[in-house]
Order: sequence, then structure tokens, then C-alpha cells
Amino acid sequence: MNKAEPKTILNFLATYFDSLKDLFDLQTEDGIIRKERLQEMIQVRGDDILSQLLDYKIVKKLGDDYEFRETYYKLFEFILNEFRPLLPETIQKYEHSISILFRKIREGISKDKLILGQRINDLYNEIKEFSEAVEKNTIRLLNETRELKSNVEKLDYQEKVRKASFWIDYYITPLNNILDINHAESITNKLFDISNYVNVRRLNFDDENIRLQFEKTYTFLVQTNDDLLKQSKLLTNELLPLIERIRTESVILTGWIEFLKAPAKAPLPKVFKIERVYPYSNDMYLNAKEYLEQFAIDETIFLEDPTMLSDKWVFNKDLYKAKMMNQLPLDSFFEWCGLTLKGDYQQIETDKFFALTALLFEDGISIELDKTEDRKLINTSQMTLRVPKLKIEKYGIS
Amino acid sequence: MEYPRYHKDIVNDLMSGKFILASDIKFNSLKEQAPFYERFFKESFGYALEIKSDYGFLLSYETAEQLSRDICMFFAILCYELDKDGKNFLEEIQYAEFEMEKLDSYFDNSAYAELIASNNQLKSGESRRDFMRTLARRNIVERNGDAKFTFTQAYKVFVDFAADFAKGKLAHPIETEEA
Repeated sequence: MNKAEPKTILNFLATYFDSLKDLFDLQTEDGIIRKERLQEMIQVRGDDILSQLLDYKIVKKLGDDYEFRETYYKLFEFILNEFRPLLPETIQKYEHSISILFRKIREGISKDKLILGQRINDLYNEIKEFSEAVEKNTIRLLNETRELKSNVEKLDYQEKVRKASFWIDYYITPLNNILDINHAESITNKLFDISNYVNVRRLNFDDENIRLQFEKTYTFLVQTNDDLLKQSKLLTNELLPLIERIRTESVILTGWIEFLKAPAKAPLPKVFKIERVYPYSNDMYLNAKEYLEQFAIDETIFLEDPTMLSDKWVFNKDLYKAKMMNQLPLDSFFEWCGLTLKGDYQQIETDKFFALTALLFEDGISIELDKTEDRKLINTSQMTLRVPKLKIEKYGIS
Repeated sequence: MEYPRYHKDIVNDLMSGKFILASDIKFNSLKEQAPFYERFFKESFGYALEIKSDYGFLLSYETAEQLSRDICMFFAILCYELDKDGKNFLEEIQYAEFEMEKLDSYFDNSAYAELIASNNQLKSGESRRDFMRTLARRNIVERNGDAKFTFTQAYKVFVDFAADFAKGKLAHPIETEEA
């Protein structure tokens, strides 16, 4: 039982992360943390943390030496994205456990529900572990092959080929066989079979709890199969042609591969950064002034000649309607319009004449056309109009 | 005081982060008046001006520039994928016309999927098209319609950076790794 507070342990991990990373590297290199190397690290870093490491159960004693507890080792692998390469035979063991569990599930499908549920759960966990192991291995293999391509260690070509052959023979090809969908015995193929079976059972199994478990396993399997296909594609496209790929070498590519290891931390070429101008910056007043001055025009521009505005005639309908109503009945409406305008303005302007004709549509009058009379001529300022004789009388009760 | 020819356009372009390329009529004026412009930008804004045989650009004193990081990631992944595809990546960048569709295929199938997914400029076909427009505004690429582009001579800034970066790594692999 761990006596320390969880937050204390997490704080400790964060505070002494660099020292712990050194220990992680030591264990990855030697398999264990040798006592002398631990003392050396403590001296260099100046962090005497051994007692806390033991108290918080981060490492355990192994004779005179030390070793990370598996949970912490895996945590460091995960957050550093540095995984131990697993031999394909280690991964292959999942094939065995997954096959057995699947066979037992099918055989015991109509037997004890409790055991069936437990088996489905175990199958789920085995597939998860298998998928994680494959992913970790692919990441590790990708890192190894990029190291070879980048060749920071300046290995000669023969040494590079020897290393590449080692990775291909012992890790990449066997892993590819495990994942290759075209290989009848591959685990990927087995997972497809399981996925088909689980798909049917999640729909037709009579017990709801088991049905839900099948459902969860099915969703997970669909995702896992996709992931495995991706890993398999990486192996085929990137890792298997390794020998071919390390034939060429370029200092530029080495630079890029190293840059991509930690792009957030790498130095950068100084491409110009455009400065944003904020309203509260010191330069804002002058910038805004300069901007506005570009649009400042000295001449005054009138959208319309102001003298035209005062001359514009506006038809006062109420005034002329009142005039018309006072003089009813009218013998000839259009002649009245002409006479009225002449009386007011000495001449008949066409626009004004047409404006007055709108009075015909007012309420309270009746209009009668005198067909016996010829059309009358009215001379306006611009034209001569031939108009009929319209009699206008009051209409309705007044 | 008399200013060099195209002075206003040169200042506007450089201050907008553009590379002025040798194919641009302004470049000759910039190159001929290099000492004047170097002093002009230094005295007026504190910026350094870099003029090479076939391009010129201003240097930002801010080093943690996101665009610069995005451009480097873009070049790094593209070069890596071109090499994986069996091509001479440098020749491709110098002379080839790239199709956006092919670029999508390189980025969508890259083993650097996690890095790509975490970068807003590179994570999808759409964001990559926006990114190409940004590069075109800076004269780093020349777009031929929406579907094709070629790199301008400005690519050299980034390729030279990669080579220098490698030399730093090659000289002190372990120290630089830890830095």
C-alpha cells in the first residue's frame, strides 16, 4: 500500500522529471539501474531522490541494483514516446490467447452468462493489449528506421545495411506477417472473423447485458481493425523498403528528420513576422492618420447642384384639388388644367400639366366624356397635346 | 532626397513579409541599392535585410514565429515523403509542378500523421489549400490555379536551414539532442 498522497507523487514526478528520465534511459540501456550509475546520476544532478523513489514505490530494489516498477516504466515509455521493441514472437502470444478465448466464447455461448461475460471482457482486454503492442512496435521501428535514414551517427553504408537487415529480418517482416490481411493465419484475419461473429451476436443475443458487451467489443474491433490496417500500410510502404531507402543520403533530409523529432523546440529560420497594429499601440495615431490621408480629397464635391434643389417644383395636390373642387362643374378638364397653370406660371410646362391630370383619380368627382366634341389642342412648353373634352361634376352628397 | 526606383513597392512588399524574387522588376533596384536598403530597414525598424543572388527578404527578430515553424514542417514532411516515393526531392522542389491532389496523398498517408494532425495549417486538404495561399502571398510558391503550384527560389531559405540544422546535429549529436 502506498502511503504518499497521489498528488505528492505526481508533484515529485514533475519536479524531478529530468533525473527520472536519466534513470529511465539507464534501465532501457542496461535492463536494470545499476547502483553505481544511480549514484553517478545523483552526483551529477545533485538530486538525492533515492529514498523517495523507494517510498513512493517508483523503483524497487533488485539485489544491490534497482528497477522501475512496470507501471512507471510504461508511463515513461508512453509520455516519451520511446518504446522497447517487442520481438514478434512476444506479440504472437496474443494470437494464442485471443484464439482460445474466441473458441471458448463460441462453445459456451448458450451456457453460463457470468462466465460468458467474463470471457468477452478478457477477449476485449487481450485485443487491446495486442493492438497497443503493435502500435508501440511500429512507432519504435519507425524511429529506428528514421535514425538509419538520417544517419546522424555517420555509419558507413555497409553498417547501415547490416542494421537495416537486422530490423527487417527480426522485427519488420515477422510483424508484417502478423498483420498481413492476405496471410490466412495472420491475427488481423482472426480479428475479422471475431468481428463478424460479434456483429451478429450484438444484435440477436437474448441477454441484454451480454448484448451490450458484444456491442462494446464490436465497436472496439472495428476501430482496431482500421488501426491495424494503417500499421500494416506503414510497414509495407515505409519499413519493408528500408534497404532501398537507406541507399541515398542527404544532409538536407537528415536536417528535416532531426527537426521533425521535436519541431516545437527546434530553432527556426527567421521569416519576417508581420506586426499587427493594435488600437492602443503608440503608432496607432500616426498609422490611422496616414491611412485616412490617402483618402482625403481637397476639392469639395457636390452630389447635386444645390441651385437645382430650390427650383424643383413639387406638385401640391391638396391645393389644386381644392381649386378644382371650388370651380366645379368643369366643362373641359384639360383646358381648365392649362388655364390654371397659365394663370399661376404664365406658361404650361408639360411636367406640371401631367401632374395636374392626376386629379382625375381623386374621389368626389364624376367624369363624363363628350363624344360629340372634337379633341382640343393644348400647347405646353415642349409639345402640343390633343386631349378629349372631359366634363367634371361633383359626385355624391356634399 | 531622391529614393531608389520602386522604393514604395519594395518597402511595402518586404514589410508584408514577401520575398522579392529575381524575376521581379523591383529586385534589380533592391540589389543595386542594397547598402541603402540594409541601412534603411535597420535604422527605421531594426530589421535585417537579406539579399541573395536570386531573392531578398526581411528577417524578423522574433524567432518563435509560428508561420516559420509551419513552413519548416511542411518542407520537412514533403521532402521525406518525396524521398520515400523514390524521388530526388531536391530536384522535385526546384523544377517540378506539384498537384494539390498528390500533395494530399503524401500528407494523408504520411507516417508523421500525429504531427500533421496537430498542425492547424497542415491537418486537412482544406487547411493545406489555405496554407498554399499564404505561401503564395509571400512569394514562396507560385500557384497555377487552385490545383497546382511550383516553388520559387525562396525555397532555398528553408533547405539551407535544414542543411545547417543537420550540420549542427552531425557535429554534436548528443548535445543538440538534449538542448
